[in-house]
Amino acid sequence: MKQTIPLIIVFTFGFFVIIAFFIPLRVFQDASQTFETWYTGVIAFFVFIGIFNIIKVNVNKIQRKLSDWQYSIILLFFLAFMMGAGFIGGPEGGVFDYLFEHMQIPLGATMFSLLAFFVASAAFRAFRARTPEATLLLIAAVIVMIGRVPIGYYIWKGFPNLVEWIMSVPNTAAKRGILFGADLGLISMALRVLLGIERSYMGGGRE
Amino acid sequence: MKFFDRLEKIDRRIIFFLVGLAVIIPLIIPLGLPVDITGPVQDVFDRVEELPEGSIVVVSCDYDPGSEAELSPATAAFLEHCFRKNLRVYMMGLWPAGPELGNLALESIAPTYGKVYGVDYINIGYRPGGPVMLVSLGRDFTDLVRADYAGVPIDSFPLGRAVKSARDIDLVMTLSAGDPGVLHWIIYFSARYGTEIATATTAIMAPQQYPYLSSGQLIGLLGGLKGAAEYETLVDKKARAVAGMDSQSIVHLLLVVFIVIGNIILLYQKRRK
Repeated sequence: MKQTIPLIIVFTFGFFVIIAFFIPLRVFQDASQTFETWYTGVIAFFVFIGIFNIIKVNVNKIQRKLSDWQYSIILLFFLAFMMGAGFIGGPEGGVFDYLFEHMQIPLGATMFSLLAFFVASAAFRAFRARTPEATLLLIAAVIVMIGRVPIGYYIWKGFPNLVEWIMSVPNTAAKRGILFGADLGLISMALRVLLGIERSYMGGGRE
Repeated sequence: MKFFDRLEKIDRRIIFFLVGLAVIIPLIIPLGLPVDITGPVQDVFDRVEELPEGSIVVVSCDYDPGSEAELSPATAAFLEHCFRKNLRVYMMGLWPAGPELGNLALESIAPTYGKVYGVDYINIGYRPGGPVMLVSLGRDFTDLVRADYAGVPIDSFPLGRAVKSARDIDLVMTLSAGDPGVLHWIIYFSARYGTEIATATTAIMAPQQYPYLSSGQLIGLLGGLKGAAEYETLVDKKARAVAGMDSQSIVHLLLVVFIVIGNIILLYQKRRK
């Protein structure tokens, strides 16, 4: 029963939404709209699950004094602080807005910016033309890197056009192939889930 | 040839230091490199130019502070163009922090054009649910959107009442840093309801959008900070993106130099063997 009931729910709702897509009868459309509204409501609860999960994981880390457990205290403190600031002062103006604008944005941007330094180090150590395929990839990468920025246009006015050609022809052809393959896989996986063949999302195994 | 052996084992902090210099120096001493306009950016600009006054444009801020440096300049340049053309902006976000970031641009640009909240622009905040939410939203906005981001009932605003379904939307601009984002707008909104989609993405995502550009499912693309710089140039409001182009140019050049040196070392090692 633990697996049968979820399978019935998945089969019923999944196929109903598919049928509603192909049959434009009002009864199907209305029901589909209702299911979609339920879904967005359920999704909103995921935020609470995420918060509970982060609290549980970090409290466990502090209790067991695992490596870098001190950072978990800071994380939990600011989680509570930001939530409190949001609930008390609201999303606009006040402490929440100030912290978001002056702490979260610069910190997030800093973390992302660090990638530039690691990419530079990787470019030096790993971007090596060891095979003909790697050489081709490397040449394309260098053209795109230079042609994508104003200095490429400054060096040679044809660079941006060459980059657009690489993006529009070889890149698009390869991407289309990958997308078709991935989407066929997605359709077959969706059918396997709907028909109850694929059950790993419930914890795996047979009943 | 101990030089190459020593070069290969170079301390990565020296590489970091050189990258730091390549970023900082052009910011202090700008080179003023010319910004060329690419086709996909020009297409977005032209489409906005064609829209009649009062058209409703959904601006979906599907990014977070990590991508702020790349996508906020694009948000600002696009909003500048919309307000200049007297278009109405309906802001939302598929990422929790997106509408908050978009609001910073809205609040700084809208007053300069004398725009009124609720009449000329509105922010309905974060909308969870990804693809399913977009399908539902396109069919009936009023079913999902009951209040703006500050909790004020949506019916109390003229612009809130004007948008009932995807038919009322003239263009969607998604500023996208990943999933959910531009792909979901194409598949679950544009494909179903026929609404035109334009996008501004992080540079790393830009190549993935070309199949949709060539198929016409995307009307245009602002790729990374360069795309934002092009748009700033087109709307003649040069700001953060254009200012960052010199740094990005020098860093890219430095990366190419690193790649060349790395491959010279490889050649030397092959010959020695």
